[in-house]
Amino acid sequence: MTTEHNPNQDGNQNTHFGFKTVAENEKAKKVGEVFHSVASKYDLMNDVMSAGLHRGWKRFAIEISGVKAGDKVLDIAGGSGDLSKLFAKKVGADGQVILTDINASMLAVGRDRMLDAGLSVPALQCDAEKLPFPDNHFDCVIVAFGLRNMTHKDKALAEMQRVLKVGGRLLVLEFSKVWQPLSKIYDVYSFKLLPFMGKILAKDAESYQYLAESIRMHPDQETLKQMMTDAGLSKVDYYNLAAGVVALHKGYKT
Amino acid sequence: MLKALSTRLLQHLISQNSWASNLLQPHAGKSLQINVSFISASLVILENGDLAMAGETNVPDAKVTIPPSLLLRLLAKDEAANRQINIEGDTQLVAELAKVFSNMRWDYEDDLSNLIGDIPANKIGTYARDAANSVKETSVNLAEMLSEYWQEEMPLIAKKRHVEQFNAEVDTLGADVARFEKKLAKLTKSIKANLDNGLLKN
Repeated sequence: MTTEHNPNQDGNQNTHFGFKTVAENEKAKKVGEVFHSVASKYDLMNDVMSAGLHRGWKRFAIEISGVKAGDKVLDIAGGSGDLSKLFAKKVGADGQVILTDINASMLAVGRDRMLDAGLSVPALQCDAEKLPFPDNHFDCVIVAFGLRNMTHKDKALAEMQRVLKVGGRLLVLEFSKVWQPLSKIYDVYSFKLLPFMGKILAKDAESYQYLAESIRMHPDQETLKQMMTDAGLSKVDYYNLAAGVVALHKGYKT
Repeated sequence: MLKALSTRLLQHLISQNSWASNLLQPHAGKSLQINVSFISASLVILENGDLAMAGETNVPDAKVTIPPSLLLRLLAKDEAANRQINIEGDTQLVAELAKVFSNMRWDYEDDLSNLIGDIPANKIGTYARDAANSVKETSVNLAEMLSEYWQEEMPLIAKKRHVEQFNAEVDTLGADVARFEKKLAKLTKSIKANLDNGLLKN
């Protein structure tokens, strides 16, 4: 990930957007366009792309979180609100879950879904690199399939660490590096089949091409573990799910 | 995938044995590695008192190593076998987890009732318990019958009183040999002293 932030001709920093290189201040806008485009069919595509496995991965993240009744949970890049819904049931009436996303279209889907489920979960549009919450506030912060889209992952992780209480946990559920013998098949799936399915189901091959590319550009398990440690988290450990297609990282604020 | 399934199973058992959460919660964040021969599994205690499988890079707070030869004895609840388990690290954590696992019960009737309803689940549970008791009783009867046959008809197994008598005779013999050894040593010492003093000739 050494090429993540490089200066361009204007002296501004560049970053990656999938396999393309763009100015840092453009990445958030471009990611926003992708998610605005896929928002309405995001869950359907997730189900198709992962054969429904993403629901199991999210449920596993909840099981590993150790969240109990009365806890405060922050769901970052929560989009369609799958995790917030499950967490809301865990924390009960005495706890609190806050759903956030930088993308208004995705957040609107999540907010409506919470309301339809009769859950009182505040939905807040905010940037994970500048979280509008006080220090030491949450028992658990989770970001699922969102970190790879963030321009400054190190800043975002530091912010997540800041808002955690001492003893609180940060969970990062994200695509990762697949087990080597499966990498060829996974490449064919990601770069051929995934954009094709995007074209058929969401009429948007380009956005799904970006999703596949962004997965490849995301740090592998050990690199992300180190990044979390650098952000001030301790006892960082990870679980490989589906042979490393996805990894769940967990770290503590001490 | 195996870790996810095992974690779900562990948490399901904990939810059926809610007393266990209270015991485990003070140890939240700690982990235990269990090694049986080449098989190794690590468990971690979560903040809500649940158990989960540990991740890929977990560093355990305690390690328990069970030689494969002890497994059957442990399953038969042989107390002496417990002392042969090798424990490293946080022994209090190991003791707490041992307490939890030895008292944990799977309420299969409750699980079944969610699938087929209370009454059929209770009926199946009753049949299962009756069948288990019947198997147990039959096994005990068969074992008693065989032991009687091998003791009385075709003596292959010694009777308890014969074993006790044999043990007592072995103890007596042991004591006699020990006394004899002492007398022999005393006599040897006395002869050697007499030889040294010239009272006896070689």
